[in-house]
Amino acid sequence: MSDDPAICAIGIGKRYPKAPPGVAALADLSLTVPAGKIYGLIGQNGAGKTTFVRIAATQLTPSSGEMYVLGHPILREERAIRARIACVPQESRPLYFLNTEEVVYLYLKLRGIDPLEARQRTKAALEELSLWEYRKRQVSRLSGGLRRRALVAMVLAADADLLFLDEPTTGLDPLARRQVWEAIRRASREHRTILLTTHYLDEAEALSARIALIDKGRMLLEGTAAELRGRVRLPYRVSVQGSALLSELEPYGRVSAIEGGFLVFAREADARELARWALERGHRVSMGPVTLEDVFLEVVGRPIEQDEPLAEGPEAA
Amino acid sequence: MSQRHRLRSVLTLIELNGLIPIRTQPLYLVNLLASPLAFLFFITIASGGVLLAYGIGGGMILTMLSVGTGLQSDLTHYRHDLKFQDIVVASPVEAPTYVAGMALSELVYSTPGMLLFLGLWFVTGAATALHAFILAGALLLVWAFASALAFTLATWFEDVRETFMFSPLISLGLTVIPPVYYPLSALPQWAQYVALVSPTTYAASLVQSAMGLIPITWSTAAADWGILTAFTAGLFILASFKARWREA
Repeated sequence: MSDDPAICAIGIGKRYPKAPPGVAALADLSLTVPAGKIYGLIGQNGAGKTTFVRIAATQLTPSSGEMYVLGHPILREERAIRARIACVPQESRPLYFLNTEEVVYLYLKLRGIDPLEARQRTKAALEELSLWEYRKRQVSRLSGGLRRRALVAMVLAADADLLFLDEPTTGLDPLARRQVWEAIRRASREHRTILLTTHYLDEAEALSARIALIDKGRMLLEGTAAELRGRVRLPYRVSVQGSALLSELEPYGRVSAIEGGFLVFAREADARELARWALERGHRVSMGPVTLEDVFLEVVGRPIEQDEPLAEGPEAA
Repeated sequence: MSQRHRLRSVLTLIELNGLIPIRTQPLYLVNLLASPLAFLFFITIASGGVLLAYGIGGGMILTMLSVGTGLQSDLTHYRHDLKFQDIVVASPVEAPTYVAGMALSELVYSTPGMLLFLGLWFVTGAATALHAFILAGALLLVWAFASALAFTLATWFEDVRETFMFSPLISLGLTVIPPVYYPLSALPQWAQYVALVSPTTYAASLVQSAMGLIPITWSTAAADWGILTAFTAGLFILASFKARWREA
């Protein structure tokens, strides 16, 4: 396998034609997606994730910068790229009159795959995502989660080296999410590269070898989950449940009120000291490294669930 | 992508957008037949049967134009609502393959209508192999023109509802005002000049001459073929420049 990156973006910018003046969906974004790994792109809705995916998947033209996908420049050699990629766009839906099996099988045939091989790949993908029992059911009679899974099965079954999965588990129940995760991991074990966008931080952490956190079209942090956690000022979180007073906790770090107690972000030594102090007073305590959600909150200043008020153009999702 | 793979992609699109929807909802086949049959009915009744053959010829042209209307809706719906076009863009399938497959898939819906009108023509007229050949050629050009028009318009539409608004206007402009259901000579002189703006006027001239309804010289026939082909090619060129396979 080549050591060349699957995606190399250098100073990518995107302004939509109908966007208000001065509003860019992406601003001077540079990142490198290593080949054969799962790369997570996280950010709020409107942060620019989908715009980046659409540019890399040759669906959208950037306004500035350069990007190479699988070694090919996106503006000049898109055919070479398209032959080796597959994409589940955000908010995409399978054609409602097909049945589940046809969604996958016809997509493979459309890509030019031999019908016999397409049948085998379809069966394997449907079984892997527990869709086999629904194979003859028309898409219009499937739940939203099953439809989404059918689309994921479709691209995982494809003969592509690089897969773009834009919010692949939105609307799935926890069990189905785990099945999709396992299928994504399997694809990665087959040395395929996966660019995954999600606003589920546990998903990004569970799957991604590296994660990029973007906000308002700019890169804020990039690295492994451990590296991201290490970049925050107060890398430990201590939950104190009980009758502790805010003034008693404030000396240890930054305190936020939570249901039934307080959450304290602190340096390691302070976190240990606080945990000992709280236990001695009979409070219920849990302590651990900060989560990606905590990192996001500290870096961006808003929780990830809170939507960014239209930083992108009207066509961006 | 090799030619064999391209052919497989085209056939898959025909299956995906033509055969399977009809399998799941056979009424699609009747749907395309409704307007041409209604026109045929009214024209035949109103003319006491004199314009029956014009109604048949007009029905064939309208059926082919309706293929374009359907294509326009499907393309807009697939691009904006289902993001299907984005899925196809990020795959080895090239734009011309998608265009060809989608346009051919819409032909499937016209099959019952064409069979009905051809049957009526064979029963009521004096069809010969040469006439049938000319008719088929003219109707294929109408299909190509309608498909090119659909692709051109679909590049502008942001929502499938816009196609619902434009489609009746397009049908009116291409099939009712131009002499598709009657001879060009039935129009006043000034209106004949206006009708020359519509490509369906030339298609109707070829169809009506092939059905033996109007006399036509070789030079007029050549001009009809040339103008209809030029309209179609022009629209395809326009669509290829405007079509947003990769969005700006």
